[in-house]
Amino acid sequence: MAYKHFEFIEKHAWTLGILTAIMVSIGGLAEITPLFMRAHQVEPPANVKPYDPLRLAGKDVYVSEGCYLCHSQMIRALRFETQRYGHYSTAEESVYDRPFQWGSKRTGPDLARVGGKYSDTWQRMHLMDPRSVVPQSNMPSYHWLADEKLDAKDIQARMRVLRTLGDPYSDADIASAPAAVAGKTKMDALIAYLQGLGIRNEPQAPNTSAAPATDGGSP
Amino acid sequence: MSLFWSIWVMFLVVLNLGITLLLFIWAPWAKVPVKPDGTTGHVWAHGAIREGLNNLPRWWIVLSASMFIAAFIYLWLYPGFGSHKGKLGWTQHGQLAEEVAANDAKLDPLLARFRMYSVEQLSGDPQALQMGKRLFEDNCAACHGYQGKGNMALGAPNLTDQDWLYGGTGKDIVASITQGRAGVMPAWNALGEDTVNNLTEYVLGISGQPHDAKMAAAAEPTFKSTCAACHGADGKGNQGIGAPNLTDAIWLHGGTRADIHKTIHDGRQGEMPAWDKRLNEDDIRVTAAYVYSLSHPGNASSP
Repeated sequence: MAYKHFEFIEKHAWTLGILTAIMVSIGGLAEITPLFMRAHQVEPPANVKPYDPLRLAGKDVYVSEGCYLCHSQMIRALRFETQRYGHYSTAEESVYDRPFQWGSKRTGPDLARVGGKYSDTWQRMHLMDPRSVVPQSNMPSYHWLADEKLDAKDIQARMRVLRTLGDPYSDADIASAPAAVAGKTKMDALIAYLQGLGIRNEPQAPNTSAAPATDGGSP
Repeated sequence: MSLFWSIWVMFLVVLNLGITLLLFIWAPWAKVPVKPDGTTGHVWAHGAIREGLNNLPRWWIVLSASMFIAAFIYLWLYPGFGSHKGKLGWTQHGQLAEEVAANDAKLDPLLARFRMYSVEQLSGDPQALQMGKRLFEDNCAACHGYQGKGNMALGAPNLTDQDWLYGGTGKDIVASITQGRAGVMPAWNALGEDTVNNLTEYVLGISGQPHDAKMAAAAEPTFKSTCAACHGADGKGNQGIGAPNLTDAIWLHGGTRADIHKTIHDGRQGEMPAWDKRLNEDDIRVTAAYVYSLSHPGNASSP
Protein backbone atom coordinates (compact mmCIF):
# COMPACT_ATOMS: atom_id res chain seq x y z
CA MET A 1 0.00 0.00 0.00
CA ALA A 2 1.36 3.21 -0.94
CA TYR A 3 0.44 6.76 -0.22
CA LYS A 4 -1.34 7.18 -3.54
CA HIS A 5 -4.03 4.70 -2.45
CA PHE A 6 -4.91 7.00 0.39
CA GLU A 7 -5.30 9.83 -2.03
CA PHE A 8 -7.90 7.72 -3.83
CA ILE A 9 -9.80 7.03 -0.56
CA GLU A 10 -9.62 10.67 0.50
CA LYS A 11 -11.00 11.90 -2.77
CA HIS A 12 -13.80 9.34 -3.21
CA ALA A 13 -16.41 9.89 -0.56
CA TRP A 14 -18.26 6.62 -1.27
CA THR A 15 -15.09 4.56 -0.92
CA LEU A 16 -14.28 6.32 2.33
CA GLY A 17 -17.85 5.75 3.58
CA ILE A 18 -17.89 2.05 2.71
CA LEU A 19 -14.48 1.37 4.26
CA THR A 20 -15.50 3.28 7.39
CA ALA A 21 -18.69 1.22 7.64
CA ILE A 22 -16.70 -2.01 7.36
CA MET A 23 -14.33 -1.03 10.15
CA VAL A 24 -17.15 0.19 12.40
CA SER A 25 -19.19 -2.98 11.87
CA ILE A 26 -16.37 -5.25 13.03
CA GLY A 27 -17.27 -4.50 16.67
CA GLY A 28 -20.88 -5.40 16.06
CA LEU A 29 -20.03 -8.56 14.17
CA ALA A 30 -17.85 -9.72 17.04
CA GLU A 31 -20.22 -8.77 19.87
CA ILE A 32 -23.73 -9.18 18.48
CA THR A 33 -23.59 -12.02 15.95
CA PRO A 34 -22.50 -14.81 18.34
CA LEU A 35 -25.10 -13.78 20.94
CA PHE A 36 -27.77 -13.50 18.28
CA MET A 37 -27.05 -17.00 16.98
CA ARG A 38 -26.89 -18.34 20.52
CA ALA A 39 -30.27 -16.81 21.36
CA HIS A 40 -31.84 -19.23 18.91
CA GLN A 41 -30.29 -22.14 20.75
CA VAL A 42 -31.62 -21.27 24.23
CA GLU A 43 -33.65 -24.27 25.34
CA PRO A 44 -36.71 -23.72 27.52
CA PRO A 45 -36.32 -25.36 30.93
CA ALA A 46 -38.71 -28.25 31.54
CA ASN A 47 -41.06 -26.27 33.79
CA VAL A 48 -41.35 -23.24 31.51
CA LYS A 49 -44.49 -23.68 29.46
CA PRO A 50 -45.83 -21.46 26.71
CA TYR A 51 -48.41 -18.91 27.81
CA ASP A 52 -51.90 -20.22 28.37
CA PRO A 53 -54.51 -18.47 26.19
CA LEU A 54 -55.55 -15.89 28.81
CA ARG A 55 -52.00 -14.91 29.67
CA LEU A 56 -51.05 -14.87 26.01
CA ALA A 57 -53.88 -12.41 25.41
CA GLY A 58 -52.62 -10.43 28.41
CA LYS A 59 -49.13 -10.31 26.99
CA ASP A 60 -50.51 -8.89 23.76
CA VAL A 61 -52.40 -6.24 25.74
CA TYR A 62 -49.14 -5.46 27.55
CA VAL A 63 -47.43 -4.94 24.19
CA SER A 64 -50.26 -3.08 22.49
CA GLU A 65 -50.68 -0.64 25.39
CA GLY A 66 -46.94 0.00 25.34
CA CYS A 67 -46.33 -1.02 28.96
CA TYR A 68 -42.72 -1.77 27.97
CA LEU A 69 -42.17 1.93 27.38
CA CYS A 70 -42.18 2.54 31.12
CA HIS A 71 -41.64 -0.91 32.64
CA SER A 72 -38.69 -3.21 32.09
CA GLN A 73 -38.74 -6.96 32.65
CA MET A 74 -35.04 -7.36 33.14
CA ILE A 75 -33.49 -7.65 36.57
CA ARG A 76 -29.82 -6.99 36.04
CA ALA A 77 -27.12 -8.89 37.90
CA LEU A 78 -26.45 -5.96 40.22
CA ARG A 79 -26.82 -6.17 43.98
CA PHE A 80 -29.24 -3.29 44.38
CA GLU A 81 -31.47 -4.80 41.70
CA THR A 82 -31.48 -8.38 42.97
CA GLN A 83 -32.10 -7.06 46.48
CA ARG A 84 -35.14 -5.14 45.39
CA TYR A 85 -36.62 -7.31 42.64
CA GLY A 86 -35.27 -10.81 43.27
CA HIS A 87 -33.12 -13.16 41.24
CA TYR A 88 -31.60 -11.65 38.10
CA SER A 89 -33.38 -12.45 34.84
CA THR A 90 -32.10 -15.23 32.63
CA ALA A 91 -32.44 -15.79 28.88
CA GLU A 92 -34.38 -19.04 29.39
CA GLU A 93 -37.19 -17.18 31.15
CA SER A 94 -38.22 -15.22 28.08
CA VAL A 95 -37.88 -18.04 25.58
CA TYR A 96 -41.62 -17.84 24.80
CA ASP A 97 -41.75 -14.04 24.76
CA ARG A 98 -42.06 -12.89 21.16
CA PRO A 99 -40.88 -10.22 21.23
CA PHE A 100 -39.14 -10.26 24.60
CA GLN A 101 -40.21 -7.53 27.00
CA TRP A 102 -36.86 -6.83 28.65
CA GLY A 103 -37.19 -3.13 27.92
CA SER A 104 -34.69 -0.43 28.66
CA LYS A 105 -36.79 2.25 30.32
CA ARG A 106 -37.91 2.34 33.91
CA THR A 107 -40.34 5.12 34.59
CA GLY A 108 -42.17 2.57 36.72
CA PRO A 109 -40.64 -0.39 38.52
CA ASP A 110 -39.30 -3.54 36.89
CA LEU A 111 -42.02 -6.15 36.46
CA ALA A 112 -39.94 -9.29 35.77
CA ARG A 113 -41.04 -10.86 39.08
CA VAL A 114 -44.11 -8.85 39.99
CA GLY A 115 -46.33 -11.96 39.83
CA GLY A 116 -48.04 -12.48 43.19
CA LYS A 117 -46.56 -9.35 44.75
CA TYR A 118 -49.99 -7.75 44.87
CA SER A 119 -53.48 -9.22 44.95
CA ASP A 120 -55.69 -9.40 41.85
CA THR A 121 -57.93 -6.75 43.41
CA TRP A 122 -54.96 -4.44 43.81
CA GLN A 123 -53.93 -4.97 40.18
CA ARG A 124 -57.47 -4.21 39.01
CA MET A 125 -57.80 -1.05 41.12
CA HIS A 126 -54.33 0.03 40.04
CA LEU A 127 -55.10 -0.38 36.34
CA MET A 128 -58.50 1.31 36.69
CA ASP A 129 -57.03 4.25 38.61
CA PRO A 130 -53.41 4.02 39.76
CA ARG A 131 -53.88 6.93 42.19
CA SER A 132 -56.48 4.96 44.15
CA VAL A 133 -53.75 2.75 45.58
CA VAL A 134 -50.53 4.70 44.99
CA PRO A 135 -51.33 8.41 45.41
CA GLN A 136 -48.01 9.65 44.00
CA SER A 137 -48.12 7.40 40.92
CA ASN A 138 -47.86 9.03 37.49
CA MET A 139 -49.04 5.96 35.60
CA PRO A 140 -51.96 6.52 33.24
CA SER A 141 -55.31 4.87 33.90
CA TYR A 142 -56.23 1.92 31.67
CA HIS A 143 -59.89 1.69 32.64
CA TRP A 144 -61.12 0.95 29.11
CA LEU A 145 -59.46 -2.47 29.25
CA ALA A 146 -62.29 -3.56 31.54
CA ASP A 147 -64.82 -2.83 28.79
CA GLU A 148 -63.13 -4.69 25.96
CA LYS A 149 -63.90 -8.39 25.58
CA LEU A 150 -61.28 -10.79 24.26
CA ASP A 151 -61.68 -12.29 20.81
CA ALA A 152 -61.15 -16.07 21.04
CA LYS A 153 -60.71 -16.52 17.28
CA ASP A 154 -57.95 -13.94 17.32
CA ILE A 155 -56.16 -15.67 20.18
CA GLN A 156 -56.37 -19.04 18.40
CA ALA A 157 -54.82 -17.45 15.33
CA ARG A 158 -52.01 -16.06 17.46
CA MET A 159 -51.41 -19.49 19.02
CA ARG A 160 -51.19 -21.06 15.57
CA VAL A 161 -48.65 -18.47 14.45
CA LEU A 162 -46.60 -19.06 17.57
CA ARG A 163 -46.72 -22.79 16.88
CA THR A 164 -45.16 -22.27 13.47
CA LEU A 165 -42.41 -20.34 15.29
CA GLY A 166 -41.78 -23.32 17.55
CA ASP A 167 -43.99 -22.85 20.63
CA PRO A 168 -45.24 -26.32 21.62
CA TYR A 169 -48.98 -25.65 21.54
CA SER A 170 -51.00 -28.80 20.91
CA ASP A 171 -54.22 -28.92 18.89
CA ALA A 172 -56.04 -29.46 22.17
CA ASP A 173 -54.44 -26.31 23.62
CA ILE A 174 -55.67 -24.26 20.69
CA ALA A 175 -59.09 -25.89 20.72
CA SER A 176 -59.54 -25.09 24.41
CA ALA A 177 -58.63 -21.41 23.99
CA PRO A 178 -62.19 -20.13 23.49
CA ALA A 179 -63.29 -21.74 26.76
CA ALA A 180 -60.32 -20.24 28.60
CA VAL A 181 -61.04 -16.68 27.50
CA ALA A 182 -64.85 -16.85 27.39
CA GLY A 183 -66.34 -13.71 28.89
CA LYS A 184 -62.94 -12.37 29.90
CA THR A 185 -61.93 -8.78 29.30
CA LYS A 186 -58.57 -7.40 28.31
CA MET A 187 -58.25 -6.30 31.93
CA ASP A 188 -58.62 -9.91 33.16
CA ALA A 189 -56.05 -11.05 30.63
CA LEU A 190 -53.52 -8.38 31.57
CA ILE A 191 -53.91 -9.15 35.28
CA ALA A 192 -53.45 -12.88 34.61
CA TYR A 193 -50.32 -12.07 32.63
CA LEU A 194 -48.91 -9.79 35.33
CA GLN A 195 -49.69 -12.27 38.11
CA GLY A 196 -47.73 -14.93 36.23
CA LEU A 197 -44.57 -12.88 35.70
CA GLY A 198 -41.57 -14.63 37.20
CA ILE A 199 -43.54 -16.95 39.46
CA ARG A 200 -41.82 -20.08 38.17
CA ASN A 201 -38.42 -18.72 39.00
CA GLU A 202 -38.61 -17.64 42.57
CA PRO A 203 -35.19 -17.12 44.09
CA GLN A 204 -34.13 -19.44 46.88
CA ALA A 205 -33.30 -16.57 49.19
CA PRO A 206 -34.21 -13.08 48.08
CA ASN A 207 -30.96 -11.44 49.13
CA THR A 208 -28.56 -13.94 47.64
CA SER A 209 -28.04 -14.26 43.95
CA ALA A 210 -24.95 -16.42 43.71
CA ALA A 211 -26.71 -19.50 42.37
CA PRO A 212 -27.56 -19.26 38.68
CA ALA A 213 -31.16 -19.84 37.75
CA THR A 214 -31.87 -23.35 36.61
CA ASP A 215 -35.50 -22.79 35.80
CA GLY A 216 -37.14 -20.07 33.81
CA GLY A 217 -40.01 -17.88 34.75
CA SER A 218 -42.41 -17.45 31.89
CA PRO A 219 -45.58 -19.27 32.80
CA MET B 1 -19.06 -20.48 23.29
CA SER B 2 -18.50 -22.92 20.48
CA LEU B 3 -15.11 -23.20 18.77
CA PHE B 4 -16.49 -21.60 15.62
CA TRP B 5 -17.72 -18.45 17.38
CA SER B 6 -14.57 -18.29 19.45
CA ILE B 7 -12.47 -18.26 16.28
CA TRP B 8 -14.90 -15.79 14.70
CA VAL B 9 -14.42 -13.32 17.53
CA MET B 10 -10.65 -13.85 17.66
CA PHE B 11 -10.39 -13.29 13.92
CA LEU B 12 -12.34 -10.03 14.07
CA VAL B 13 -10.35 -8.77 17.06
CA VAL B 14 -7.05 -9.54 15.33
CA LEU B 15 -8.32 -8.01 12.09
CA ASN B 16 -9.50 -4.81 13.74
CA LEU B 17 -6.55 -4.29 16.08
CA GLY B 18 -4.17 -5.52 13.36
CA ILE B 19 -5.29 -3.06 10.70
CA THR B 20 -5.37 -0.08 13.05
CA LEU B 21 -2.05 -0.96 14.68
CA LEU B 22 -0.40 -1.48 11.29
CA LEU B 23 -1.62 1.91 10.11
CA PHE B 24 -0.47 3.49 13.35
CA ILE B 25 3.05 2.07 13.01
CA TRP B 26 3.32 2.54 9.27
CA ALA B 27 2.00 6.08 8.97
CA PRO B 28 5.03 7.95 10.41
CA TRP B 29 7.36 6.07 7.98
CA ALA B 30 5.19 6.41 4.92
CA LYS B 31 6.88 8.05 1.97
CA VAL B 32 4.83 11.08 1.08
CA PRO B 33 5.67 12.80 -2.19
CA VAL B 34 6.25 16.49 -1.55
CA LYS B 35 5.52 19.14 -4.12
CA PRO B 36 7.76 22.21 -4.46
CA ASP B 37 5.22 24.31 -2.56
CA GLY B 38 5.57 22.01 0.47
CA THR B 39 2.19 20.31 0.09
CA THR B 40 1.24 16.77 -0.90
CA GLY B 41 -0.47 17.95 -4.05
CA HIS B 42 -3.89 16.88 -2.76
CA VAL B 43 -6.24 19.72 -3.54
CA TRP B 44 -9.93 20.33 -2.92
CA ALA B 45 -12.25 23.07 -4.08
CA HIS B 46 -10.13 23.86 -7.13
CA GLY B 47 -6.99 24.52 -5.17
CA ALA B 48 -8.51 26.61 -2.40
CA ILE B 49 -7.80 23.81 0.09
CA ARG B 50 -4.43 22.08 -0.07
CA GLU B 51 -3.00 19.34 2.12
CA GLY B 52 0.10 20.38 4.00
CA LEU B 53 2.69 18.10 5.59
CA ASN B 54 2.99 18.21 9.34
CA ASN B 55 4.08 15.72 11.96
CA LEU B 56 1.34 14.28 14.11
CA PRO B 57 1.13 16.02 17.51
CA ARG B 58 3.07 14.15 20.17
CA TRP B 59 0.11 13.99 22.57
CA TRP B 60 -1.95 12.27 19.89
CA ILE B 61 0.73 9.63 19.26
CA VAL B 62 1.22 8.97 22.98
CA LEU B 63 -2.54 8.76 23.56
CA SER B 64 -3.09 6.36 20.67
CA ALA B 65 -0.17 4.15 21.70
CA SER B 66 -1.49 3.95 25.26
CA MET B 67 -4.93 3.01 23.90
CA PHE B 68 -3.41 0.06 22.05
CA ILE B 69 -1.55 -1.03 25.18
CA ALA B 70 -4.75 -0.69 27.24
CA ALA B 71 -6.64 -2.81 24.69
CA PHE B 72 -4.07 -5.62 24.85
CA ILE B 73 -3.97 -5.55 28.66
CA TYR B 74 -7.79 -5.60 28.77
CA LEU B 75 -8.03 -8.59 26.45
CA TRP B 76 -5.42 -10.37 28.54
CA LEU B 77 -7.13 -9.70 31.91
CA TYR B 78 -10.83 -9.84 31.00
CA PRO B 79 -13.01 -12.07 28.82
CA GLY B 80 -13.25 -10.71 25.28
CA PHE B 81 -10.76 -12.55 23.10
CA GLY B 82 -12.92 -15.46 21.94
CA SER B 83 -13.22 -18.13 24.59
CA HIS B 84 -10.21 -16.77 26.52
CA LYS B 85 -11.62 -16.33 30.05
CA GLY B 86 -9.18 -13.62 31.04
CA LYS B 87 -6.44 -13.76 33.64
CA LEU B 88 -8.72 -12.37 36.36
CA GLY B 89 -11.51 -14.89 35.69
CA TRP B 90 -14.05 -12.07 35.93
CA THR B 91 -17.72 -12.82 35.36
CA GLN B 92 -20.77 -10.66 35.88
CA HIS B 93 -22.37 -13.21 38.19
CA GLY B 94 -19.12 -13.67 40.09
CA GLN B 95 -18.96 -9.95 40.71
CA LEU B 96 -22.56 -9.93 41.90
CA ALA B 97 -21.85 -12.82 44.30
CA GLU B 98 -18.83 -10.89 45.63
CA GLU B 99 -20.85 -7.72 46.12
CA VAL B 100 -23.62 -9.62 47.88
CA ALA B 101 -21.09 -11.35 50.13
CA ALA B 102 -19.39 -8.03 50.91
CA ASN B 103 -22.72 -6.44 51.75
CA ASP B 104 -23.75 -9.42 53.87
CA ALA B 105 -20.47 -9.17 55.77
CA LYS B 106 -21.26 -5.52 56.53
CA LEU B 107 -24.84 -6.30 57.56
CA ASP B 108 -24.22 -9.52 59.50
CA PRO B 109 -23.17 -7.94 62.82
CA LEU B 110 -26.22 -5.69 62.67
CA LEU B 111 -28.58 -8.55 61.85
CA ALA B 112 -26.98 -10.72 64.53
CA ARG B 113 -27.77 -7.95 67.02
CA PHE B 114 -31.34 -7.67 65.70
CA ARG B 115 -31.87 -11.41 66.21
CA MET B 116 -31.20 -11.00 69.93
CA TYR B 117 -34.29 -8.86 70.37
CA SER B 118 -38.00 -9.38 69.99
CA VAL B 119 -39.90 -7.51 67.28
CA GLU B 120 -41.40 -5.27 69.98
CA GLN B 121 -37.92 -4.38 71.25
CA LEU B 122 -36.65 -3.83 67.70
CA SER B 123 -39.38 -1.28 67.13
CA GLY B 124 -37.38 1.05 69.38
CA ASP B 125 -34.13 0.58 67.47
CA PRO B 126 -33.46 3.43 65.01
CA GLN B 127 -31.35 1.26 62.69
CA ALA B 128 -33.96 -1.49 62.55
CA LEU B 129 -36.65 1.12 61.88
CA GLN B 130 -34.59 2.70 59.11
CA MET B 131 -34.21 -0.68 57.44
CA GLY B 132 -37.82 -1.63 58.06
CA LYS B 133 -39.09 1.66 56.65
CA ARG B 134 -37.25 1.04 53.37
CA LEU B 135 -38.65 -2.46 53.09
CA PHE B 136 -42.12 -1.21 54.01
CA GLU B 137 -42.07 1.49 51.34
CA ASP B 138 -40.96 -0.91 48.64
CA ASN B 139 -43.20 -3.83 49.53
CA CYS B 140 -46.10 -2.80 51.77
CA ALA B 141 -46.85 0.83 50.88
CA ALA B 142 -48.59 -0.04 47.60
CA CYS B 143 -51.55 -1.37 49.61
CA HIS B 144 -51.15 0.01 53.14
CA GLY B 145 -49.98 3.46 52.04
CA TYR B 146 -46.72 5.26 52.76
CA GLN B 147 -47.97 6.27 56.20
CA GLY B 148 -49.40 2.81 56.81
CA LYS B 149 -52.91 4.21 57.08
CA GLY B 150 -54.40 1.51 54.86
CA ASN B 151 -56.77 1.70 51.92
CA MET B 152 -60.44 1.14 52.57
CA ALA B 153 -61.31 0.75 48.88
CA LEU B 154 -58.90 -2.16 48.70
CA GLY B 155 -59.57 -3.51 52.18
CA ALA B 156 -55.98 -2.97 53.28
CA PRO B 157 -56.09 -2.32 57.02
CA ASN B 158 -54.79 0.78 58.75
CA LEU B 159 -51.61 -0.25 60.57
CA THR B 160 -51.33 2.86 62.73
CA ASP B 161 -54.27 2.22 65.04
CA GLN B 162 -54.70 -0.20 67.91
CA ASP B 163 -57.16 -2.45 66.07
CA TRP B 164 -55.72 -5.69 64.71
CA LEU B 165 -57.45 -8.25 62.53
CA TYR B 166 -55.01 -11.06 63.20
CA GLY B 167 -53.35 -9.78 66.34
CA GLY B 168 -50.91 -6.96 66.94
CA THR B 169 -48.03 -8.62 68.77
CA GLY B 170 -44.67 -8.85 67.01
CA LYS B 171 -45.22 -12.54 66.49
CA ASP B 172 -48.63 -11.99 64.92
CA ILE B 173 -47.30 -9.33 62.56
CA VAL B 174 -44.40 -11.57 61.52
CA ALA B 175 -46.90 -14.37 60.82
CA SER B 176 -49.12 -12.04 58.75
CA ILE B 177 -46.19 -10.90 56.63
CA THR B 178 -44.68 -14.36 56.24
CA GLN B 179 -47.78 -16.34 55.27
CA GLY B 180 -50.01 -13.59 54.00
CA ARG B 181 -53.68 -13.37 54.96
CA ALA B 182 -56.87 -14.10 53.08
CA GLY B 183 -60.20 -12.63 54.06
CA VAL B 184 -63.04 -15.17 53.90
CA MET B 185 -66.26 -13.22 54.39
CA PRO B 186 -68.81 -15.15 52.27
CA ALA B 187 -71.57 -13.48 50.27
CA TRP B 188 -74.89 -13.69 52.16
CA ASN B 189 -77.19 -12.58 49.35
CA ALA B 190 -78.80 -16.04 49.49
CA LEU B 191 -80.38 -15.01 52.80
CA GLY B 192 -82.62 -12.66 50.88
CA GLU B 193 -82.63 -8.90 50.48
CA ASP B 194 -84.78 -8.30 53.59
CA THR B 195 -82.45 -10.25 55.86
CA VAL B 196 -79.40 -8.50 54.42
CA ASN B 197 -81.05 -5.11 55.01
CA ASN B 198 -81.96 -6.08 58.57
CA LEU B 199 -78.44 -7.35 59.26
CA THR B 200 -77.05 -4.08 57.95
CA GLU B 201 -79.18 -2.19 60.51
CA TYR B 202 -78.07 -4.60 63.22
CA VAL B 203 -74.36 -4.02 62.45
CA LEU B 204 -74.96 -0.26 62.35
CA GLY B 205 -76.57 -0.66 65.75
CA ILE B 206 -73.78 -2.56 67.49
CA SER B 207 -71.23 -0.10 66.12
CA GLY B 208 -73.15 2.75 67.70
CA GLN B 209 -74.43 4.37 64.53
CA PRO B 210 -77.92 5.64 63.77
CA HIS B 211 -80.06 2.70 62.70
CA ASP B 212 -83.57 1.30 62.43
CA ALA B 213 -84.05 -0.48 65.76
CA LYS B 214 -86.98 -2.57 64.56
CA MET B 215 -85.09 -3.96 61.58
CA ALA B 216 -82.03 -4.56 63.75
CA ALA B 217 -84.09 -6.50 66.28
CA ALA B 218 -85.48 -8.65 63.49
CA ALA B 219 -81.95 -9.56 62.41
CA GLU B 220 -80.67 -10.46 65.86
CA PRO B 221 -81.47 -14.21 65.65
CA THR B 222 -79.78 -14.45 62.26
CA PHE B 223 -76.72 -12.62 63.55
CA LYS B 224 -76.47 -14.85 66.61
CA SER B 225 -76.90 -18.04 64.61
CA THR B 226 -74.88 -17.16 61.50
CA CYS B 227 -72.58 -14.14 61.80
CA ALA B 228 -71.61 -14.94 65.37
CA ALA B 229 -69.71 -18.04 64.22
CA CYS B 230 -66.91 -15.76 63.14
CA HIS B 231 -67.63 -12.31 64.58
CA GLY B 232 -68.70 -13.61 67.99
CA ALA B 233 -72.09 -13.30 69.68
CA ASP B 234 -71.19 -9.77 70.81
CA GLY B 235 -69.79 -8.88 67.35
CA LYS B 236 -66.35 -8.18 68.75
CA GLY B 237 -64.63 -10.34 66.16
CA ASN B 238 -62.06 -13.10 66.40
CA GLN B 239 -58.37 -12.46 65.77
CA GLY B 240 -57.72 -16.18 65.40
CA ILE B 241 -59.50 -16.19 62.05
CA GLY B 242 -59.20 -12.50 61.20
CA ALA B 243 -62.90 -11.70 61.75
CA PRO B 244 -63.10 -7.96 62.40
CA ASN B 245 -64.59 -6.35 65.45
CA LEU B 246 -67.92 -4.86 64.32
CA THR B 247 -68.59 -2.81 67.44
CA ASP B 248 -65.89 -0.15 67.03
CA ALA B 249 -65.56 2.78 64.65
CA ILE B 250 -62.77 1.14 62.66
CA TRP B 251 -63.82 -0.33 59.32
CA LEU B 252 -61.84 -2.42 56.91
CA HIS B 253 -64.19 -2.05 53.93
CA GLY B 254 -66.11 1.01 55.05
CA GLY B 255 -68.70 1.60 57.77
CA THR B 256 -71.51 3.42 55.97
CA ARG B 257 -74.89 1.76 55.46
CA ALA B 258 -74.05 1.17 51.78
CA ASP B 259 -70.61 -0.27 52.57
CA ILE B 260 -71.93 -2.66 55.21
CA HIS B 261 -74.76 -3.74 52.92
CA LYS B 262 -72.28 -4.48 50.13
CA THR B 263 -70.03 -6.39 52.53
CA ILE B 264 -72.88 -8.64 53.68
CA HIS B 265 -74.49 -8.98 50.27
CA ASP B 266 -71.35 -9.70 48.19
CA GLY B 267 -68.88 -10.86 50.80
CA ARG B 268 -65.29 -9.64 51.07
CA GLN B 269 -62.12 -11.48 50.20
CA GLY B 270 -59.31 -9.10 51.02
CA GLU B 271 -55.96 -10.62 50.25
CA MET B 272 -52.55 -10.03 51.74
CA PRO B 273 -49.92 -11.90 49.70
CA ALA B 274 -47.31 -14.03 51.45
CA TRP B 275 -43.85 -12.47 51.56
CA ASP B 276 -41.77 -15.47 52.55
CA LYS B 277 -40.58 -15.87 48.96
CA ARG B 278 -39.58 -12.23 48.60
CA LEU B 279 -38.21 -11.30 52.01
CA ASN B 280 -36.00 -13.39 54.26
CA GLU B 281 -36.58 -13.85 57.97
CA ASP B 282 -34.41 -10.90 59.01
CA ASP B 283 -36.14 -8.61 56.51
CA ILE B 284 -39.55 -9.70 57.77
CA ARG B 285 -38.61 -9.08 61.40
CA VAL B 286 -37.38 -5.52 60.79
CA THR B 287 -40.42 -4.83 58.61
CA ALA B 288 -42.65 -6.14 61.38
CA ALA B 289 -40.77 -3.92 63.85
CA TYR B 290 -41.46 -0.91 61.65
CA VAL B 291 -45.14 -1.86 61.38
CA TYR B 292 -45.28 -2.30 65.16
CA SER B 293 -43.72 1.15 65.62
CA LEU B 294 -46.50 2.73 63.53
CA SER B 295 -49.05 1.97 66.23
CA HIS B 296 -46.59 2.45 69.12
CA PRO B 297 -44.99 5.82 68.29
CA GLY B 298 -43.70 6.41 71.80
CA ASN B 299 -41.63 3.25 71.80
CA ALA B 300 -38.27 4.95 71.24
CA SER B 301 -36.33 3.28 74.05
CA SER B 302 -33.34 1.59 72.47
CA PRO B 303 -33.16 -2.09 73.36
